Amino acid sequence: MNMELATTDRTDGAWDQVVTDTRVHRSVYADPSIFQHEMASIFAGTWVYLLHESEIPNANDFRAARLGSRPVIVTRDAKNQLHVLMNRCTHRGATICREKSGQAATFTCPYHGWRFKNDGKLMGVPGRDAYGNAFSRDRFSLGRAPRVESYRGFVFATLNQEAPDLETHLGQARFFIDQWLDQGGGDGLVVQSSAHRFHLKCNWKLIFDNAGDGYHVPFSHQSLLKMTADRYGGGDMTYFGDADKSSMRVYDLGNGHTLIDQREEMYNPSAWKQQRPQPGRETFEGSVAARKPQDEQSSTLDMAVGSGMNLNIFPNLLLIGNQIQVIEPLSVGETILTWYATTLDGVDEEVNVMRMRTQEDFPILGETDDAANFEACQQGLMSIPEEEWVDISRHVTTNTDRAERDGIVSGPVTSDLHLRAYFRRWKELMKVKPNIQTRPEGDAQ
Amino acid sequence: MNEQTSPEAKAAPQPASTYIDAELYTWLDAASEDFRAFDPGRVAEIDGVHSLLASEARALDDQAFGPWLDLYVADCVYWVPSNWPASSAALTVSLEFHDRRRLIDRVDRLGTGLAYSQLPPSRTARVLGMPEIWKHEDGRGHIRARAPFVMGETRAGENRVLSGWNGYVLRQTDEGLRIVVKQVNLIDADEPQGNNSFFL
Ligand code: FES
Ligand SMILES: [Fe+2]
Repeated sequence: MNMELATTDRTDGAWDQVVTDTRVHRSVYADPSIFQHEMASIFAGTWVYLLHESEIPNANDFRAARLGSRPVIVTRDAKNQLHVLMNRCTHRGATICREKSGQAATFTCPYHGWRFKNDGKLMGVPGRDAYGNAFSRDRFSLGRAPRVESYRGFVFATLNQEAPDLETHLGQARFFIDQWLDQGGGDGLVVQSSAHRFHLKCNWKLIFDNAGDGYHVPFSHQSLLKMTADRYGGGDMTYFGDADKSSMRVYDLGNGHTLIDQREEMYNPSAWKQQRPQPGRETFEGSVAARKPQDEQSSTLDMAVGSGMNLNIFPNLLLIGNQIQVIEPLSVGETILTWYATTLDGVDEEVNVMRMRTQEDFPILGETDDAANFEACQQGLMSIPEEEWVDISRHVTTNTDRAERDGIVSGPVTSDLHLRAYFRRWKELMKVKPNIQTRPEGDAQ
Repeated sequence: MNEQTSPEAKAAPQPASTYIDAELYTWLDAASEDFRAFDPGRVAEIDGVHSLLASEARALDDQAFGPWLDLYVADCVYWVPSNWPASSAALTVSLEFHDRRRLIDRVDRLGTGLAYSQLPPSRTARVLGMPEIWKHEDGRGHIRARAPFVMGETRAGENRVLSGWNGYVLRQTDEGLRIVVKQVNLIDADEPQGNNSFFL
């Protein structure tokens, strides 16, 4: 049976056919109409991560972002209120803000000079009289996300008026976001240290699939593991080599969110000791040994190493190591992946400098191999329609899933539990038509 | 296991790297600024620079990594900033920032033949523009240079053009002129990048 036809009716039954607990149909990765459906049901219908508040710390700061493939401007107005504005002039549609970030109380469209406040209100229209007396500026406010909320600095938005609040959406993941934030130490996270940006020729879900894939490491990253073994006798991620036997688990946190917890392996006994040496290692070690009391040395060194967590917040936020990864789908076969580097407030500068070097490690030595494989998957899925399925059945029949506290379910780290968990959420969202609105005040154009 | 690596050598990270410190970062910031300065008055012809830059580019096009590394001093920095203009490496992540040790990590990883982002490997052809060369003597180097580049790259049937300029700090050593710093400034450093798993 050809599933391409089945998906055109978009009934619940059709979605149940293309995604099951053991396999996913290629059209889910390759069909542009399913991608369009996702941009509404998922990237407007549920909470999408946009940025961290420390990127726009001051009144009138702004940064461009994407809500799915919609360009938006995230602003902080004069009263520190956050807004997520559609970056599209209400006059003829031009992109209004053409800068990536900056400071602006108002945005003036370069085309005919309409001027908007950073809360989206239209303030000025050149030659306004020509529009007649009935012209109402209120009708021409910029489109906006009706719901914008942040959780401990992570700013999310949705166009769905009826979405549950952000804390409910994050659910069990909140506990682990707290851990991720708190284990670094210091007074808080700062996202002001540039980023690794990748343009990938693959569907966004191939990136999300991989974020909870503890199976691929010894194969995809064989070059890195071999080099590390040859030069340093092991360390860093080698515990993934025989991951089926390891005690590491992957956790289904509900609502499509998942976690791979490497901490037990990575911090045993010290993450710093296991880490592949990075530029500046000896200097940092020497300084910590000279300046910190004995009992603080190990924890200080560990502040510069990754978190040991892969915390995946559906659909587009991946907290991996000490980086914030953001997935921005552009089209069915094109995605931008950005790894924002982080520093810690209130710690010695040398900790943050060392964090820059450790956060360069994987993007340089590992991510390009992942990316090559994602793109290879996309090619396979796009080009041979007769071959219809991808498999997500690993550990379905092994009885290794385990009920944890509060409804969390875990499986072996090499399980496809992550895929099954997030696809279940994906399907739930794809089946409903959310109440999407960019003009919440009813100021319809 | 790598035949050249003796078990004793493994005990200490090889080669030890003690030169990446606060002073180096400050000096790199100053070098960054110096590369960017436009100062026709300081530009001079200095023997050996053209040939060194040509050899460095050629070694990378040939993927002759052994000879390539020989062109760099032991306390070298290979740096691809993630911003335009380059921001401080101490405060921001770079697309690449390597001391000699991590440079060798990078070379050895490619050498395993298992780096799938380089299967098949990229072919590159780099064209360096006329370099500006000037004297700048300090404790780390004697000469600096800046050259624009255009690089054609092909891999698996896909062609790309990468472009930008390189800043170099060079040192006169007993073996001849060598590279202390190579800073690669991509014109799209702050935009999403494709598969740059070869060396720039
Ligand atoms: S399109 Fe923006 S003012 Fe005309
Ligand atoms: Fe990976």
